[in-house]
Amino acid sequence: MMATMVFFFLGAFFILVSAIGLIRFPDLYTRMHATTKATSFGLLLLILGTAIYFNTGMVWLKAVLVIIFIYLTAPLASHSIAQSDEGSKEGKVDS
Amino acid sequence: MLRKTFYGIRFLVYYLVQLVKSNIQVALMSLSPRLDFRYGFIQVPLSLKSDFGLLLFSNFVSMTPGSLVTEIDDARTFATVHVIFTSSEKEVYDGVQKMQDMIKRFTA
Amino acid sequence: MESTFINIPLLIIFGMLLLAFILAFVRMLKGPETSDRIVSMDLISSVTMAFVLSYSILVNKAIYFDIVIVISLISFIGTVAVSTYLKQKK
Repeated sequence: MMATMVFFFLGAFFILVSAIGLIRFPDLYTRMHATTKATSFGLLLLILGTAIYFNTGMVWLKAVLVIIFIYLTAPLASHSIAQSDEGSKEGKVDS
Repeated sequence: MLRKTFYGIRFLVYYLVQLVKSNIQVALMSLSPRLDFRYGFIQVPLSLKSDFGLLLFSNFVSMTPGSLVTEIDDARTFATVHVIFTSSEKEVYDGVQKMQDMIKRFTA
Repeated sequence: MESTFINIPLLIIFGMLLLAFILAFVRMLKGPETSDRIVSMDLISSVTMAFVLSYSILVNKAIYFDIVIVISLISFIGTVAVSTYLKQKK
């Protein structure tokens, strides 16, 4: 119970951090830094906390599968959003 | 085969360490009272060619501190990476090359 | 039965998630481009998943975990579909 609450506090903290970053950061790409990293880490902690709380085989199996799915698709989603950006990329490329 | 497994496990441990580090960095950055970081795009030449290697590479770059893959061209020669600079550009560049070497050791 | 609904740490967690939801909603209302709105919709779906996980702890039922699986699938497909549509339209 105690471990679950620690995981839940950390997970909710990271999701809140990514929302604050979404408000404060100056442009689309820096906002995507905040949402891609912090949101998936917060969900990882929340799912681990839930799996520790119930602690049955089925819940652990589903938890591992959902974590793998989230970590495979979060960079793909951010890459796809970056492709759809309306041409603010020109003029800022410094290789 | 055993050697590849060893490098794979070492990659996984390194991935988890980088994951925790990058999240702490994002938290500090978005809670700090002043936002004074530099950011921009850099272009990195790719030496990986396989599908699985590129998937792992873009995933890993997106989860390490301060970098995000935004585009890979069709011929698989360049990746455009968006970086929030916490160190100099040379270090970021070397870090990305080191990641490619690490992935190449257990996929190829 | 009533004592399961009074759980102070979970109430604090719900408050933090509600604050995150409100901030993401503000960004969705005033985002200068459509891409910003897609990013904030992605964050809102993640906040919804966190809500459902906390609720499954609150009512002590493991069956709510399946909702998280469905939301994660739908949010990925939705994000990719909308951004691909924008890229095609451009």
